Amino acid sequence: MKAFGEFHPAALMMYFVGVVLVAMFTLHPVLLALALTGGICFCALLEPAGRFVKDLGFYAGVFLLIAVTNPIFSHNGVTPLFFMNGNPVTLEAILCGLAVAGMLVAVMYWFKCYNHIMTSEKFLYLFGRAVPKLALVISMAMRFLPRFHSQMKRVSAAQKAMGLYAGKGLTDRARFGFRVLAATVTWSLENAVDTADSMKARGYGLPGRSSSSLFRFTGRDGGFLAVTGLLLASVLIGLILGGGAFAFYPRVSFVSTAPLSLTVYFSYGVLCFAPFIIELEESLRWKYLQSRI
Amino acid sequence: MKRTLIGWGILVLGIPCVIFIGLLTGQYAPAAFGVALLSCVPFYLRFENRKVRARELTLIAALTAISVGSRAAFALFPHFKPVAAIVILAALYLGGEAGFLIGSFSAVLSNFLFGQGPWTPFQMFGWGVIGLLAGALKKPLKKYWWGLLPLYGIFAGALYSAVMDSWTALFTGGGGFDLNRYLAVLLTSFPTTVVYMVSNVVFLLAFYIPMNKILSRMITKYGLYES
Repeated sequence: MKAFGEFHPAALMMYFVGVVLVAMFTLHPVLLALALTGGICFCALLEPAGRFVKDLGFYAGVFLLIAVTNPIFSHNGVTPLFFMNGNPVTLEAILCGLAVAGMLVAVMYWFKCYNHIMTSEKFLYLFGRAVPKLALVISMAMRFLPRFHSQMKRVSAAQKAMGLYAGKGLTDRARFGFRVLAATVTWSLENAVDTADSMKARGYGLPGRSSSSLFRFTGRDGGFLAVTGLLLASVLIGLILGGGAFAFYPRVSFVSTAPLSLTVYFSYGVLCFAPFIIELEESLRWKYLQSRI
Repeated sequence: MKRTLIGWGILVLGIPCVIFIGLLTGQYAPAAFGVALLSCVPFYLRFENRKVRARELTLIAALTAISVGSRAAFALFPHFKPVAAIVILAALYLGGEAGFLIGSFSAVLSNFLFGQGPWTPFQMFGWGVIGLLAGALKKPLKKYWWGLLPLYGIFAGALYSAVMDSWTALFTGGGGFDLNRYLAVLLTSFPTTVVYMVSNVVFLLAFYIPMNKILSRMITKYGLYES
C-alpha cells in the first residue's frame, strides 16, 4: 500500500526536506493551500479512516485557534474591521493569521506523513554512514527499550514470587514499583557494559569492516530524485526571483498571475501532490489487477 | 579532521548564515528551527570524531532508553515526565557531553513514539543543554545535592519551558518575533512550567539516592570514566 515509501531513503529525505522547508519559509496563500491540501490528501491514504477524521477535527481546532489569536497580537494593516479594548482588529491581521495557521497545520501534516514514510530504519540507514557512532547509539537505544520493558516484567514477577508483592496502600505500591525500577535500571546498565565487551571482542571499531543494507538505489529512484530536484529547483529559483512574493502588511497584496508565479505554483503543486497521485495510482492498479473470478 | 572542520564551519558560518537569512526574510520560525538543529551538530561531530570506547556508547544508549522508557511510562500524565531528571542524573556521573547526547537523543527517540514535528529540534536542544550544564556543574551539584539539585531542577524546568515557548511563539506568530506574544505564551504556559519544575524536583529527589548508588557502583565495578 505504501508505494511512495518504496523509494530510496535519500530521495525521500530530500523530497520531505524540500516540501517542508518551502512550506515553512513562505506565507504565500497559493503555496500554503497547495502544501496543506497535498499533505492532507497524502495523509488520508496513509492513515486509517477513523483516525484520520479524528485528527482532522483536532487540526481544524488548532487552525482556528491560531487564526483567531493573531489579530489580538498584531494591529498592523490599514483596514480596521472593529475595535477591541481600544485596539483595532484589522482585516490584514485576520488574513495573515489564517495564512500562519495554514502554514503550521501544513507543516504538521507533512511531518505526520514523514513519520509514516521515513521509518526509523530508513532514518538510521541515512545517517549511519555520515555519523556511524551516533546511529549506532540510537539503534542500540531502540533495541534496549523493549528489552528494558520485558526485564521489568520479569523482575516484578520474581519479586512477587518471593512474596514481596505490593499491598493495597499507595506507599506500598510505590515502594514496590521503585524496587522493580531500581533493579531493572541496574540490570540494563550492566547489560550495556556486557554488550560493549561483546562488541569489543568481536572487533568493533577495527578498520575494514563492511555493512549491508536493504536499500538499493534503482533507476526508479534516480528518476524520482531527478524530477524532485528539478521541481524543487524551479520553485526555489522562482521564489528567489520574486515569483512568490506576497505581503499582508500594510495592505494585502494581490495573488500574482505572472508566468513566473504560475511556474512556481505549478511546480510546487506537482511536488505536493506527487505522493498522493503515486499512492492513488498504486492502489487503483492493485484494485484493477485483482482477479475477478 | 574533516568532521572537525564541518563542526567549526557550522558554528562560525552556518548558524550566522541561517540567522542572517531569517532576518533578511523576516521568517524567524524556520530560522530558529535551523539554529536549534545546527547548534546540536557540533556536539555530535565532536563525539563522532573522538575515540570512543564501546562502553561509553552502550551506556549512553542504555541511559537514553531508560529516559525514553520513563517518558512513555508517564504518557498519561501531561508534562509530568522524569526525562529531564534522568538526563541530569546521568550527566552528573558521565559528564556534560554524555548528558547532552542523552538529552537530545531522548528527544529524537521518544518522538519516534510520540511523533516528530517542528518541535523536535527545540526539544533536542532544550534537554541537551540541561544535560550539558548539569555535567559542567557536577561537582557542586553532587556535593550539596539536597539543596542544589532541586534548585537546578527548577532552573531546568524554566529553561525547557522558555525554549519550548519560543517555539510556540515563533510558529504561531507567522515567523515574526513579537515580544508581547512571547510573554503571553510564557504566561499562559506558566502552569505547565510549574508542572515541569515540580516533576523535575520530585524525580531528582526521588532518584538521586538510588541512582547515586547504582551509577557509583557501576563506575567502580567496571572502572568507567577514569581520568
